[in-house]
Amino acid sequence: MKRAGKYLLLVLALLVALTPVYWMLTISFKTEVDHFAVPPRWLFFTPTLEHYADAFVTRSFGQYLLTSAIVAVVSTLCALVLGTLAAYALARFRLPYHMDRRLSLWILSTRMFPAIVTAVPLFLMMRDLRLLNTRASLVIVYTAFNLPFVVWMMRGFFAELPRDLEEAALVDGDSQLGALVRVVLPLVAPGLAATAVFCLIVSWNEFLFALVLTQTDAAMTLPVGIAGRVTQYEIKWGVMSAAGVVAMVPILVFALAVQKYLVRGLSLGAVKG
Amino acid sequence: MSVVFKNISKRFGDTTVVDDLSLEINDGEFVVLLGPSGCGKTTTLRMLAGLENVTSGDILINGERINDVPTQHRDLAMVFQSYALYPHMTIAENIGYPLRIRKMSPNDRNERINKVASMLEIEPLLKRKPRELSGGERQRVALARAIVREPRAYLMDEPLSNLDARLRVQMRGELKRLQHQLSTTTIYVTHDQAEAMTLAHRVAVMSKGKLQQFDTPLNIYNYPANRFVAEFVGSPSMNFIDGKVDIESRAFLTGDLSLHLSEAQTERLAGQASERITLGIRPEHICILPARQNGAIGATVYVTELMGNESVVFLSLGKSRLIARAAADFRSEPEQNVWVTLALEKAHFFDRSTGNRIK
Repeated sequence: MKRAGKYLLLVLALLVALTPVYWMLTISFKTEVDHFAVPPRWLFFTPTLEHYADAFVTRSFGQYLLTSAIVAVVSTLCALVLGTLAAYALARFRLPYHMDRRLSLWILSTRMFPAIVTAVPLFLMMRDLRLLNTRASLVIVYTAFNLPFVVWMMRGFFAELPRDLEEAALVDGDSQLGALVRVVLPLVAPGLAATAVFCLIVSWNEFLFALVLTQTDAAMTLPVGIAGRVTQYEIKWGVMSAAGVVAMVPILVFALAVQKYLVRGLSLGAVKG
Repeated sequence: MSVVFKNISKRFGDTTVVDDLSLEINDGEFVVLLGPSGCGKTTTLRMLAGLENVTSGDILINGERINDVPTQHRDLAMVFQSYALYPHMTIAENIGYPLRIRKMSPNDRNERINKVASMLEIEPLLKRKPRELSGGERQRVALARAIVREPRAYLMDEPLSNLDARLRVQMRGELKRLQHQLSTTTIYVTHDQAEAMTLAHRVAVMSKGKLQQFDTPLNIYNYPANRFVAEFVGSPSMNFIDGKVDIESRAFLTGDLSLHLSEAQTERLAGQASERITLGIRPEHICILPARQNGAIGATVYVTELMGNESVVFLSLGKSRLIARAAADFRSEPEQNVWVTLALEKAHFFDRSTGNRIK
């Protein structure tokens, strides 16, 4: 009985999570007539690739995809490099007046207000810097927003690592940076992978700043491009779904590829060994 | 390499961990820093390695002040209590790490790794990862990594404390042999007095951040500087009896017991505050007699521990509890009355207020 209840809950959770995805997937392959059929055609309909062609051949969704990929990857790399160095310093060096702890909290505090608060100031800054409608503006903003996250995640992973190993590396003749690169980073690789996935997902799906900072096809990311198909006169469900499916694929593939590290990363330090 | 600690102190906030320590270690010497946990011995070693800053005082290596030289430029090798093997590297990579940092060519590196590995008999392990090794094997690898680059000195922080008893004794012997072969200055931290006695040329006994005595193991054992050293070194521990000295009758008085002292002893004690003296006597200097004899003292057996090669007998003597060594075939029941003699010529006397031995 208890078991059955457990499975029932599982099925319910899966239904809630997967139905929208399934719906999007079928919409992207249905003709427009089938989109609005009553009752809905859940399984049997005439499949078509016209929406995919429309999105990626006729319209510039290929361009958006490229922009999304570049912005997500570059901002993730920047955030990882800067954030890891900062986290290492905060985890390992004692600063006077407890500045290490205070700095950590201060860094976190930048994530405590709603993103919209910074949207207008950022828009004005980017305008003055002539960075509106550039990928650079998005890379800068996403890096800034991912940094606190990277610092806090990585600081936790570094703190878990026994100090002996770095000290051994120092005594063996390595520099502090050498010890970080040759001894510490390989050991926190799972944590690094987990952090990277989160940064990538956040940057990939980000909508608000991309909407505020980019209006041209050349600089627009996928989420903004998709939302742009909702217009005063029509809503292109097919095109939006097709683009949505394509947007989902890279994250899915990446998450599956690092799944092993993801689980290990999130539970790193939970058990010794 | 010679090492000089000159009035070294280390404070963490308000707590003083090492207090005005001065120590001179000669080239090629094996020195053991001995003391209970929290006595500052590990901190002292870490200051020498450059892993802790020195609050005040100077550390000199070969006469050169090295307080501000970063760890990686001190050319020392350290064996950690946890071994600190790099988990993601193979054993060969672990041993070769110090050489790789020094940009030695892979061929030379392999040659050195193999030489050290054969010396420590760990050749079959070279391709494995640290987690596949037993404690004793990891210990050897940690040693190999220290030896491989021929540093100026070895620093060892309780390297044997994670091994089981049998292995510890075996490795202890090998360490001594190794140091004899290499004759490189070695500074070794331990709380195990047996390790200190067996390994060291000289032992520095520390307590509460202060150096208590720095001498050869035999002198530490036979002529402890104060009560702390006398109690800490030796197993079972030295017995202590509080009492006073009556110079005129040449006697040490405790409870209803009066122990007769020699002329020389009385002379030594004459100038002291004779009211507050502690007598110290090692368990091997208390003899349990088979029958009553002249001058023997009555005592009762509290409990007897059979060790196989000897028996350790806990005795009640008045209000004092004494530990004596007896032959392996000594048999007794608790509360049994026995007769003992104390070899008072081997006894030490301590000033109770300062704890110092009266010389």
